[in-house]
Amino acid sequence: MSVFRAGLQRITNVLKSSPGGFLSRFVTNLTPVEDKAIPQTSKEVIATCNKLIEQNPSRSFAIIHLLGKQWRVTDGDLLVVEGYWPPNIGDKITLDKVLLAATKDFSLIGRPLVQPGLVTVTATVISKGLSHTRTHFKKKRRKQYMRINFQRAEQTMLRINSVDIASKINKPASNVF
Amino acid sequence: MSNKNLFLKSGFIRAPIQNGVGRFVPQLQRIVLKFCKTYGASQGLREFIEQDLVDFAKENPSVVVYLKPRRHRGPVIVAEYLNGDRVWMSVHNKTHSEITKWIEVLRTQQGDISSLRLRKYQYTDYPSVQGPWTPFTFKDPELNTAQLPDPHFGANDRLPITATEKLRLLFEKQKLSDVKTAE
Repeated sequence: MSVFRAGLQRITNVLKSSPGGFLSRFVTNLTPVEDKAIPQTSKEVIATCNKLIEQNPSRSFAIIHLLGKQWRVTDGDLLVVEGYWPPNIGDKITLDKVLLAATKDFSLIGRPLVQPGLVTVTATVISKGLSHTRTHFKKKRRKQYMRINFQRAEQTMLRINSVDIASKINKPASNVF
Repeated sequence: MSNKNLFLKSGFIRAPIQNGVGRFVPQLQRIVLKFCKTYGASQGLREFIEQDLVDFAKENPSVVVYLKPRRHRGPVIVAEYLNGDRVWMSVHNKTHSEITKWIEVLRTQQGDISSLRLRKYQYTDYPSVQGPWTPFTFKDPELNTAQLPDPHFGANDRLPITATEKLRLLFEKQKLSDVKTAE
């Protein structure tokens, strides 16, 4: 539909039809507010974001990838991850797979990850234990089939200590690993 | 199967005294190993005490370790935590390596966490930083001042192209090609 709509828009542009033309309902009127070159605008936006990061006016959050799940984390959060995971209690770790980082005013969206070194998410492992016993009960009626299994998963509790965005958006990425 | 019939408490994740913010405090306070000096069921626990207990106590200076020999009773481990929880565990006929692993679990957990079914796996004090989404979040504020009903906002722009419009489009295209050929 979008290709079709773009084609229609081109035709109507060629025809220089009036705004109230018969195809007006297919034509979007999303014109840029300011007639500025796009690279200039993006430079200004990046400069504004860098300045906002330096002023540090608001809380920042990040979406991190951890053990196959995505978590939205901010300072002071508690997470419980399930399954085997080597870090032990008291370990301070850095969560490096950052998919998105944002403050109140802007968002940095990774493709798929935000460049390494730009966002630092640190966490402390505060507890490692086993979950409650989960019962897996299967039964088929009239088929003499019944299975009952019990399992407990390893649970690791994490405290998020900080989500920091360094004020170097658009700096060339240096390989920190 | 629903969880509401189980005699199991459910709750949300908590950490005592903001643990992990600034500093980390190990939560195991005291561990009591109860065993018999002669019974075979205490064999594994006795081996642990002979071989690993001194190292365990040295590596965990914050944990108080008690040994409680008692005649002709089963071997038991009791762990007490800073939040007041007390975990009682029978280690009847468990081997040395099994007991090592269970003591590691008791040391690293922050309380009696296995007696609680978690309802949420994340806790945050700040559920939204950029504000919750509403239907008006990314809308043009033009709507605020409009006098409704308005054909501009009320128009149905999801309709497929009509036959009349298709014909007129063909006509316009033809005109365009006519102009091109004339040039």
